[in-house]
Amino acid sequence: MINNILEFFTTVVVFTPKFIPGVFMTFKLSVLSIMMGTVFGLLAAMLKLSHNRLMEAFTDFYVTIVRGTPLLLQLIFIFYGLPQLGIEFNSFFSAVIGLAFHNGAYISEIFRGAIESIDYGQREAARAMGMTKYQTLRRVILPQAIKRSVPALGNQFIIAVKDSSLASAITITETLMLSRQFVAATYNVFPIFFIAACYYLLITSGLSRLLLRVERRFKIYER
Amino acid sequence: MIEIVNLHKYFKQLEVLKGIDMQVTKGEVVCIIGSSGSGKSTLLRCINFLEKKNEGQIWVGGQLVQDTEIDIINLRRKVGMVFQRFNLFPHMTALENVMEGPLTIKKFDKVSARDIAFAYLDKVGLADKANEYPARLSGGQQQRVGIARAMAMEPEVILFDEPTSALDPELVGEVLKVMKDMAKEGMTMVIVTHEMGFAREVSDQVLFLHEGIVAERGTPRDIFELPQHDRLKSFLGQVCLTA
Ligand SMILES: Nc1ncnc2c1ncn2[C@@H]1O[C@H](COP(=O)(O)OP(=O)(O)OP(=O)(O)O)[C@@H](O)[C@H]1O
Ligand SMILES: [Mg+2]
Repeated sequence: MINNILEFFTTVVVFTPKFIPGVFMTFKLSVLSIMMGTVFGLLAAMLKLSHNRLMEAFTDFYVTIVRGTPLLLQLIFIFYGLPQLGIEFNSFFSAVIGLAFHNGAYISEIFRGAIESIDYGQREAARAMGMTKYQTLRRVILPQAIKRSVPALGNQFIIAVKDSSLASAITITETLMLSRQFVAATYNVFPIFFIAACYYLLITSGLSRLLLRVERRFKIYER
Repeated sequence: MIEIVNLHKYFKQLEVLKGIDMQVTKGEVVCIIGSSGSGKSTLLRCINFLEKKNEGQIWVGGQLVQDTEIDIINLRRKVGMVFQRFNLFPHMTALENVMEGPLTIKKFDKVSARDIAFAYLDKVGLADKANEYPARLSGGQQQRVGIARAMAMEPEVILFDEPTSALDPELVGEVLKVMKDMAKEGMTMVIVTHEMGFAREVSDQVLFLHEGIVAERGTPRDIFELPQHDRLKSFLGQVCLTA
């Protein structure tokens, strides 16, 4: 018993620093896929609300594909499938594109919902003053819609961090992949995965706190 | 200033405006009265193209307004609007709401936009609330900010769609007072209202709208003291009873 506990702690102490490169990769994948996913999401939401049939159909197609198939399959398809069509990306790029694409679809739905929830009187007031459609969007609709999206966006960002672990399926050495390598080398399953879980929790709870702060800053104009 | 010729508006099959003609000259205050559903809001909203008219012409400052994006935006910069439900931008302070037009639409720099906005907020008696968000203002204060926001664009005419009917009775007076001051200073105004006392006091011209046509028009004296149309008589009877 005492021996077991001792072994657990020594493994944790020895392996915790060894995780740094994997955690760094998880972090990089998360940040890039969240940022690009937000841009994709905003674009897709704009297209969806553009009143242009073709653009609407295009974004519907995008959202349907992403939501209707597993992310793991999407990543494998991009990395192993697309090269057959002559479209080849390296594994890191495939992972970022795949994750960003995936997050973008969900984020576009979040933005769309938020934009549609803004009182129609807001758009009318802006247009009646003489604003163009673009000015109305930028000055009046988006600031309010983004504020309303923050809680749901935060949720999606946290999912994005956890989903980045699927990149291990396409040869990316991120936190999960690294843990499996350590396990294969040491057969010491429990402490290794324990460390991995702690790292994920560290990242996601840090992100949660950041988001809470953003939410609070946006609260000033409410009663 | 504004001339409307033979304006028709349909919602699907329903003909809401059936050939409206009206003129508003510079410095004039025109009140539009009429029962609910007679088309008052629709008329006002057709003037600044928030609703698309089906037929008819709108002339502003001697120019025919075409149904193009450029013409419509130019028209809206000359024709302000104040809404029943205020429609202030909740993410901006009172001052920022009023600055928004000069800043974004007229492209003034921040300092001059702020000066203009502050002057108009002061005019409606809200200089001390400049940095409050709309959620922390009373209805009457919000509507005064709405009026200041319209004035800050320095339009040639301002349209008011029942500016006091979303307000508690005790807050109506402060908004009407601001509007009276504007009228005195020669602002051209078109006002849809149920406040008959106000209409009687400030208007130069009153239109009585009934089922999509101007059933009667004239000076406040003509309309309120010598009504001709039976509908107008019964409408005034009802309003006086409820008031
Ligand atoms: N967007 C719309 N779609 C369909 N019908 C509409 C629309 N807006 C107004 N109407 C109809 O047009 C008619 C005139 O409406 P309008 O709002 O202009 O009346 P109003 O005189 O302003 O009435 P109130 O005093 O109640 O504000 C009503 O019968 C109304 O139901
Ligand atoms: Mg109305």
